[in-house]
Amino acid sequence: MSTGRARTSSAERDPARRGDSAPVAGFAGPWRIAWRRLRRDRIAFASGLFLVLLALALFPGAKLATVLLGHGPNDPYPYAVDASLRPVGPWTRVPDTHTLAPTAGDELNPPPPRGTPDTLFILGADGPLGHDLFLRSLYGGRVSLEVGVGAALIALIVGTGLGTIAGWLGGLADGAVSRLTDLMMALPVLLLLLMVGTGIGDGLRLWTCWGLLNDGVFQLMLLIGAFTWYYPARIVRAQMLSLRGREFVEGAVMIGASGYRIVTKHLLPHVVPSLVVYGTIMVATSVMLEVGVTFLGAGIAPPTTSWGSLLQAQWGSVLTPGGATSAHIQPFLTIVPGVAIFLTVLALNQLGEGLREALDPAGAR
Amino acid sequence: MIPSWLAFVVRRLATAAILLLLLTMVTFVAYWKIPNEPAAFLVDIRYATPEQIAHARHLLGVDRPLYVQYGRFVWRALHGDLGRTFTGARTTGPSGAPVAGQVVHAAAVTGSIALGGALLLFVVSVPIGLLGASRPRSLADRATAATSIVAISLHPLVVALLLQLFVASRWHWLPQAGYCSLLPQAQPCSGPVGWAEHLLLPWVTFALFFVALYSRMIRARLLEVLGEPYIRTARAKGVPERLVLLRHALPNTALPLVTMLAMDIGTAVGICVYIEAVFRLPGLGLRTLIAMVGLGLDLPMLIGITLFTGAAIVVLNLIVDVVAVMLDPTISRSPRGRTALLHLAGRTG
Repeated sequence: MSTGRARTSSAERDPARRGDSAPVAGFAGPWRIAWRRLRRDRIAFASGLFLVLLALALFPGAKLATVLLGHGPNDPYPYAVDASLRPVGPWTRVPDTHTLAPTAGDELNPPPPRGTPDTLFILGADGPLGHDLFLRSLYGGRVSLEVGVGAALIALIVGTGLGTIAGWLGGLADGAVSRLTDLMMALPVLLLLLMVGTGIGDGLRLWTCWGLLNDGVFQLMLLIGAFTWYYPARIVRAQMLSLRGREFVEGAVMIGASGYRIVTKHLLPHVVPSLVVYGTIMVATSVMLEVGVTFLGAGIAPPTTSWGSLLQAQWGSVLTPGGATSAHIQPFLTIVPGVAIFLTVLALNQLGEGLREALDPAGAR
Repeated sequence: MIPSWLAFVVRRLATAAILLLLLTMVTFVAYWKIPNEPAAFLVDIRYATPEQIAHARHLLGVDRPLYVQYGRFVWRALHGDLGRTFTGARTTGPSGAPVAGQVVHAAAVTGSIALGGALLLFVVSVPIGLLGASRPRSLADRATAATSIVAISLHPLVVALLLQLFVASRWHWLPQAGYCSLLPQAQPCSGPVGWAEHLLLPWVTFALFFVALYSRMIRARLLEVLGEPYIRTARAKGVPERLVLLRHALPNTALPLVTMLAMDIGTAVGICVYIEAVFRLPGLGLRTLIAMVGLGLDLPMLIGITLFTGAAIVVLNLIVDVVAVMLDPTISRSPRGRTALLHLAGRTG
């Protein structure tokens, strides 16, 4: 935990700061050391790389795929489902038309008109409407990741704020925050999330951050953040408590630094590494919660797709059981979003694990 | 010793009572604020006259001020009556089912899932932990470590859906969904066999979510214990390695295990919500979902479930804390035992 101290004391010794451009052998900031260690950790590096590629595939990639494939995620293709409404499987060429040919004679499912061009469904169709599952997974992944990252950020900001107040001020403030975190930890978070999620209904659904986010994304971010802030709060509080009595804080108090300055310049930098590690894992937790809450019908609402709503497609809803209970099952409807969620969460967890080791000040350089 | 135990338990129960009061109050106020017409349970509000709607509201008891409703709820709850559900209410004759009975039935389902799942969890994770600790860094140990990394990243919903999809829907090995009562009843399916058949997939889902955490924890604790002098003594006097592991080392994992169990109760309730939704088991989770998306918000049912779940979590935590104190010789037998108990009360209360 000497990162902050090393940085301030090395500022005078660092030749670069004195205008001398010759580098000193062996000097490296804590973040550079961490980066060096992270590159050596193959699993963590691969996880980080995967997440970068995933972000590229979801954000610019989704639009690109739409252009390349020639159809969008919301275009219905009636020929992408068979007579019993079972969607087609992966890598199927589907007649490129949005309308069914009129029924002729006693033939129930007439073929499309001659000369209709085909369009490729890489992962098959997603349900009775015949949307492209691959494209919907990309656009759904956007929403899921946005909720995951946003909720983790909200939880980190709220948690750091309350944890700092509790740990630095102590006394009554600490008592209040600690009791509140204890209370939150004892409660079944998912059940409350569902109740509040259904309760606020469309309250903030249409607030989209000036068109940057889809409908309902911001609301779900807030909701998940409001029920996960207590983990970072506990971590920050514990660190503040252990740092409060250290010599460098006493020194800062002695030279007359204000409480605000001590907290922002001397204490919070120590907490940043743990928050980076914890934030990574919290993104994974928030993605899992988004999937769960949306699946159970209290999260992202229909026109917007997320991995949770893709998973729900075949299962139905609480009151109306879906196709999973019928004989016409398309396993890819569950496998595709399931694997996407699994790989994302796995990569986030492994990256968090790698960051923990890389940012450990006691670890080997 | 008795007074300190008693003081601890009484103090915890008093905190719990306040907590439950707060919890129900918040739920009450929250649902008062939500735009919702409870009269929809009795009349079709699209066609009903204002008089009919007013009459329906009066029958359901939602026409009185909020504090009167809450006061009546608390007074009745103290007498063991949680009211009647809105679902199934009628303008004439008997109203909805008693909430208390519904909640007890739902709790039996959730309890079956959680208890069976926890049992399966221990049956699986203790041997894995023992294996890992007896041969650390062996092929088997590394394989289980890799498996737990995978298991920890699997969403319980995905696990449940895939199990249902393949084991039940495709291969027809087990029933797809639904619940069977354990006690023989005049229903198409009941009794221990049907009960276990319907719950096998839920148990597997439940255990799979926690198995990585628990087997890793047992392994770490065992490795820690195996380095202690009393284990060296046992080995030196010629105790077989199997007995060293099972008799000398394993009991020492009980305390951290129980502590971890207490921390996971809330998570377990969440996992049960997923499981109940996928396998359509009428437990507390599914009943909550149905009470929220039916004709309207079934407030008595929701309050009943909230109250029951909160109380169950408090009581389970209390039991776990008491068991932890009993398991830990350094707390219960030291002269500072009372301080330790009060510390415990302060920590978790």
